[in-house]
This record gives sequence, structure tokens and C-alpha cells, in this order.
Amino acid sequence: MSTEISAAVTLTESQARALFEKEFVPHMDAMYNFALRLTNDEDDAHDLVQDTCMRAFRFIGSFEPGTYAKAWLFRILKNNFINDYRKKSRGPSKVEFEWVEQSFAGEDDPEPAFQADLQAETVNEMLGDEITSAIQALPVDFRMIIILCDLEEFSYEEMAKILNIPIGTVRSRLHRARTMLKETLATYAAKKGYKTDMLSA
Amino acid sequence: MKTNCSHQTDCMKLIQRILDKEASAEEEARFVANKGQCLPCQEGYKLEIALRKALKSNCTSSCPSSLLESIRSKISSILLLILILIPLFCWFI
Repeated sequence: MSTEISAAVTLTESQARALFEKEFVPHMDAMYNFALRLTNDEDDAHDLVQDTCMRAFRFIGSFEPGTYAKAWLFRILKNNFINDYRKKSRGPSKVEFEWVEQSFAGEDDPEPAFQADLQAETVNEMLGDEITSAIQALPVDFRMIIILCDLEEFSYEEMAKILNIPIGTVRSRLHRARTMLKETLATYAAKKGYKTDMLSA
Repeated sequence: MKTNCSHQTDCMKLIQRILDKEASAEEEARFVANKGQCLPCQEGYKLEIALRKALKSNCTSSCPSSLLESIRSKISSILLLILILIPLFCWFI
């Protein structure tokens, strides 16, 4: 509490409130969605977003209006998740996790080529639950980068800052994450009997 | 039309960078010029677009209004505390 007071005190009450409404509130949906995808649990997502906002509020006095608040907030949220929530998050089941780990041992390995057959038409036919399950089945670092890029449309440079990794790692992790996602979807599609033979024909 | 692409992995990386708006204008022009002759590249391009669309329609959720209210109320408590503490502090010194 004392740190919150000391930082926020540089602004007047109305300034702090106005800055919160202008800079934080427009990104609440995106922050909550990111938190929900990371934790897989509504209560944990609620706490994670609340903690993130309170941490960000501590430093609201040092926030420069006009800079990109969304990237700043996402970075705080990611750090908060890694430090406090990662251990207790409801991750993918052990079987699914082992499957992706076996297929892709580490980030320094040569990047895998996408082998399975999966067409745009198949993805369009798939149920929402199948798409959501495929995303949730990815290891959290890979899930994180797909959400930042494909849902939130951050640039590679912004993602490098949010995740605190070099831009080359952003590129390779993103490609690897998408390959994993396609492999997972192709496995679902084959199990559920969706048409998957167009390319191999 | 090619039904086999010998550099599929590189092509898929390029397609992803184009859709991520991270490719140069030259790279994009080169891809557009070659896409018409390569079936796997056309299919890969369509697949990447379909994946992005599927994620956007199925993996978004809104912040519950109760959460926003709870954060606003916590912030109000902090600001109130500041309003009380500062005069007290000034009075003491």
C-alpha cells in the first residue's frame, strides 16, 4: 500500500482517476481475455487483472500519456502471471503437454515443418470448442505469443518488449506455436472425421 | 500450377510475416507474383487466414463489469487514504 501511495501522490486524485479511465479501461477486455487464456480459470483471471491494474496504478505517476498503454499493461500482466500465478494455473492435461513436448523439444532445435494435412475449409467447419481446446492445449509460452500476435495484433517489436525476448526468438517461437496449433487441430480433425485429404490428393 | 513446394517451411514463414504486417514490400510483391503458380502456397495462405479468423471468433471474452467496479473501488480507497494521510503528515511536521 505504501508504494501505491508514494507513486500515485505525484498526481492529483482527479488526474489519477482520469488517467485510469482513459489509459486502462479501454484495454480491460483484452487484459481479461489474456489473463483467462493464461490461467484457464475465471477466478484466477479476475485476480490477475486486478493485481495487474493495482501494480500499474502504483506507477501511474510515471506513465507518459500518449505512449502505448496496452503494451505496458500487458507486460505487467505477463510478469505478474509468471511470478505469482504460473505454478497454480490450470494448464493443459499432462498427456497433451507431453505430446507437444515430444514433438518440439526446445526452441533451439531446427524448426519443424508442418506435416499434417489441414485445410482452411476444415478450420472453418470446426466447432468453437475445438479451436479453444487446441489453443489451451499449447504450452503457455506458445499460447501467449499466439494470443499477443493473432488476437491482440501486437507487432514483433512490441511482443519482444512484453515477453522480454529478442525479436528473432519472437519470430521462431511464433512460427513454432502456429505449427503446434495446426498439428493439434489436424489431430482433432482426423479424430472427428473432418475432411483432411485435399492437399495429399 | 505447382502441386509441390520445395521450400514450404520458408514460404509458410513468409506468409505468416505478411499477414503479421512484418514483411517488406519487396517480399510481399514477390509472394503475390509467385502465389498464382503454387497450390501449396495458396492453400497455406488460406489456412493462415482461416486460423486467425477462427481464433478471433472463438477465443475472445469480455471483462466482467464486476471486475472493473472492484478495481475502481480499490483505486478509490487508495486515493481516499492519500487524501487523509497527506494532511495528517503535513500537520505532524
